Amino acid sequence: MAYQLYRNTTLGNSLQESLDELIQTQQITPQLALQVLLQFDKAINTALANRVRNRVNFKGSLNTYRFCDNVWTFVLNDVEFREVTDLVKVDKVKIVLPHSSTTE
Amino acid sequence: MSNQLNLPQPKLYRSVIEDVINEVRELFLDEGVDEQVLMELKTLWENKLMQSKAVEGFNTEEQAALQAAAQQQAQQAQQATQQAQTQQVLLPPQQQAPQQQVIVQDPKILQHMSATGMNAATTAATLALPTGISPYQQLITSQGQILQVLRAANGTQYIIQPQQQMVLQQQVLPQMQPGGGQAPVIQQVLAPLQGGLPQQTGVIIQPQQVILTGNNVQQNAQVQGGAAPGGPQQQQQIQQQVQQVQQVQGGAAPGVPQQQQQPPMMLQVDGAGDTSSEDEDEEEEYDEEEDEEKEKDGEDGQVEEEPLNSEDDVSDEEDQELFDTENVVVCQYDKIHRSKNKWKFHLKDGIMNLNGRDYVFSKAIGDAEW
Repeated sequence: MAYQLYRNTTLGNSLQESLDELIQTQQITPQLALQVLLQFDKAINTALANRVRNRVNFKGSLNTYRFCDNVWTFVLNDVEFREVTDLVKVDKVKIVLPHSSTTE
Repeated sequence: MSNQLNLPQPKLYRSVIEDVINEVRELFLDEGVDEQVLMELKTLWENKLMQSKAVEGFNTEEQAALQAAAQQQAQQAQQATQQAQTQQVLLPPQQQAPQQQVIVQDPKILQHMSATGMNAATTAATLALPTGISPYQQLITSQGQILQVLRAANGTQYIIQPQQQMVLQQQVLPQMQPGGGQAPVIQQVLAPLQGGLPQQTGVIIQPQQVILTGNNVQQNAQVQGGAAPGGPQQQQQIQQQVQQVQQVQGGAAPGVPQQQQQPPMMLQVDGAGDTSSEDEDEEEEYDEEEDEEKEKDGEDGQVEEEPLNSEDDVSDEEDQELFDTENVVVCQYDKIHRSKNKWKFHLKDGIMNLNGRDYVFSKAIGDAEW
């Protein structure tokens, strides 16, 4: 099963909200909404794996780290995300990642 | 392709949306759900994405539709409940503890007022409408300060002043509305507040007390005029604006009934009674000290509460802000390594939301020190 990890992204959240609205107006069933989300998981995983081809470097200081249920959660402070063209600085960033079964 | 870093988002997201929609189309049909619903889902989804501003604009068509819809809504909002909305809209920017509380009441009052058929002044740039006739006056300064004088049917007036040095001459409705013996007199005291009252959020003055200005009518907005005749306390408060208003509420309640019956008994702040002046001084001093706190401890129980609430609000807001700007990265990892306190991350296939914007990467390498 594809990771449900990406549901908590802008893309995923907006999809969930939209589905919720439709459920409230009873245009779709919750069951159907669940199916949609599963489809979304598959699609986003595939898209990320295939459609994205860019690289990022980042550097910062680690505030906390957690590894539980095969999921890493890091909180970094004063991080710089560096891509080829630009740089993004953030004071605090949370990184959530489940272990990838397939390593490329 | 240097722009590929962030710009591919729209294309990528759009392609993802398309894929998902297509894949679920079958599901929808299986369920017997109309294609229309699917389109609606798509539209909702894209709208939210656009609103989040994490991604660049979507289909221009949708954008245009959305903008048009937004405009319509804005217009409707203005027309329909201009007062209420303006207040509400204005309220957030002010973000002052006392105001918030006041504001909550205001919308109710506003509605109430509108019911009474009062015409609310449109948002005027910092000028009180000299409409002596209209019982309800609402002033909204372009600066975002809201002056509202609300007359509730119950005779309780709330005056909110965003308080900034704005010389507002308000008009006091000297009339006591015969309608219900309510203290129609509403004085808007928003004046720049003598003594430079701190930016206290709106001042609430119970209408009855406000009456006093009615007689004097057209007193300068400077707090004094606004003070309700009900009691010297009220007047004082008006000057001080926020804090005073609160007090007035406390004191106005008991005094209100009395005043209604005796409209002519308006107390004038302007040198009317010594006590009032004394109070004023005390209050002014007190206010100045507390400027930003906006609360006079001991003056009113409500006042004390407000500052507490305001503090809570502030903290809540901060928490929310922190949370909102919390940048999240969801991805998968190839390898996580640590040496003593040096961590190395090898990540892949991630979506980042940094400073509100979305980024995507196929690989990410990072270093961090713990």
